[in-house]
Amino acid sequence: MYYLGVDVGSVSTDFVLLNKNYHVIEHLYLKTNGKPIDAIKNGLSILGQTYNDKQILSVGITGSGRSVGGYILGADLVKNEITAHAVAALNIDKNVKTIIEIGGQDSKIIVLNNGIVVDFAMNTVCAAGTGSFLDRQAERMQIPIQEFGDYALKATLPLRIAGRCSVFAESDMIHKQAMGYNTPDIVAGLCDALVRNYLTNVAKGKDIQESIFFQGGVAANIGIKASFERSLGKKLYVPAHYGVMGAIGAAILSAETKKTNTSFRGFNTCLSSFNSTSLECQDCPNCCEVVTIMQDNNTLVGRFGDKCGKWSENNISASGDK
Amino acid sequence: MIVGLPKGLYYYKYHKFIEKFLDNLHISYLTSPNTNKNILNEGIRTCVDEACLPIKIFHGHVSYLRDKCDLILTPRIMKASDGEYICPKFCGLPEMIINSIPELTTITSSPLYLNDKKKIYKWCEKVGKLAGKTPSLIKESFEDALKYHANEKQGLDDEKGFSLKIALLGHLYTVYDNHLNMDVINKLHALDAGVITEECVKMIHIKSAIENLVKKPFWSNMIGTLGSGVHLAQNNLVDGIVFLSSFQCGIDSVSIDIMKDMIEDFPMLVLKLDEHSGQAGMDTRLEAFIDMLKRRKLIDLDISTHG
Repeated sequence: MYYLGVDVGSVSTDFVLLNKNYHVIEHLYLKTNGKPIDAIKNGLSILGQTYNDKQILSVGITGSGRSVGGYILGADLVKNEITAHAVAALNIDKNVKTIIEIGGQDSKIIVLNNGIVVDFAMNTVCAAGTGSFLDRQAERMQIPIQEFGDYALKATLPLRIAGRCSVFAESDMIHKQAMGYNTPDIVAGLCDALVRNYLTNVAKGKDIQESIFFQGGVAANIGIKASFERSLGKKLYVPAHYGVMGAIGAAILSAETKKTNTSFRGFNTCLSSFNSTSLECQDCPNCCEVVTIMQDNNTLVGRFGDKCGKWSENNISASGDK
Repeated sequence: MIVGLPKGLYYYKYHKFIEKFLDNLHISYLTSPNTNKNILNEGIRTCVDEACLPIKIFHGHVSYLRDKCDLILTPRIMKASDGEYICPKFCGLPEMIINSIPELTTITSSPLYLNDKKKIYKWCEKVGKLAGKTPSLIKESFEDALKYHANEKQGLDDEKGFSLKIALLGHLYTVYDNHLNMDVINKLHALDAGVITEECVKMIHIKSAIENLVKKPFWSNMIGTLGSGVHLAQNNLVDGIVFLSSFQCGIDSVSIDIMKDMIEDFPMLVLKLDEHSGQAGMDTRLEAFIDMLKRRKLIDLDISTHG
């Protein structure tokens, strides 16, 4: 019997199955590719080959695509990423004080005291210090993102790259490349720039105490980890399932709801087709962009995006304390 | 003659006064609708790119009224209180508008000093004269509107019924424009959090909260926001602060940091607003912040029962 956790993020959609002791039995890390519904279906179809609906005790979902995803899955719990990440880290170490989480489009710092989130911050307006930015730069330099960190460690002198804005960083890098500097030094400079941006923007004024967890997709990058440790003079702990911590947290939180019957719609949901159509509601000057999601062209999954609630009020409620 | 009232910037603070004044003078007026997608788009299209979102939205409102009335009130606010300054964009607002919006009807461009009753009267007198009203009627209408305004209760202070209380701070045109702030007040209510705004904090408390600063802040916007936030936090009158700030706001960049410094580890969430309409980022931050406050309360309760 398992708890299913899903994290629908900007870059990846992650699935985990936990057993009753909250150990990870299965994990999937799938690219979202801008199509969260397809990614969810894909995950369900992979898991459905090995597991059946009766083995699922509860379903929790988090991530930026959680509200729509919650309807499609029939989630028992829909929760924000901050709480999910904190719960997952606490499950490994009750004394965790700081969580550095860098994902595709978000970067966060979570400060805990006695197992409770007491402060957090997220990047405000700009995605300069996040995974998408690294992805893009890796692609531009034709380095597979998996090898990015290794390149950084080969550097002899990390170059200074402007880090406060990804446009500035990119032009700075291009200029350094044009001057003939070698790639590892530029890559290491980029890691330093990202870390500098994180510490002066997201983590500004926060007391970073050990033990420090480093999670999210970017934690795979040993160059960034090394750069953090250099700047902070402290060790970072990267948990084994660093990339799917949000999903783990969502699974644990769903287990904690202690519902006797899950509202999970089943693995066969992956066989359905989901179509979305958007319309601009003309009933008032707000002109909300309302999206309607239909399952197999005949069942309404839900409507989202309206300000007044006229369209979304008829959605069958997905659980969670949203 | 029809006077246009753009629903942006200090409209939210002074509209009752100006409406009363125009009513007294028997001048009909047209208010632009609540900010909506078209107004936002129009504002962004016409306004200079570097301006903040509230200024762009104001352009959108003016543009909406552009061919529907004979005079649009675009106050050039020079000062709000003695010894204080206001964001320089207000001082240049008429120029920004005239040079950005084509085929514009007449707009007001005379300076408005809100710190001096005589000067406010002068500004109002000009508006009245443009409509061909007599000085005695203008004077009478002005005095009456002023009295009416003084008796109007301003601000929001939710009574009991919510499990948390949040100080919702920021320039009042970000606090009250539901489109600009993605309906933050209703979102907080839905999360079981009541709201108090800076107008509900007495001036004496605002002043005393910031009297120990090395230097008196000279931005009017900053004094109200900072003083009320610090007062509410230090006296534990709220559970947390939500600070709404327009992207690129220079005054806020100072206010927020001084506030953080003064309230130390008191919970504060800063929301940067720009032309986003996807709500996921906002919802995540609000939900996580409220979650955190609720769980902090649980620890506090535990401690008090043991101690």
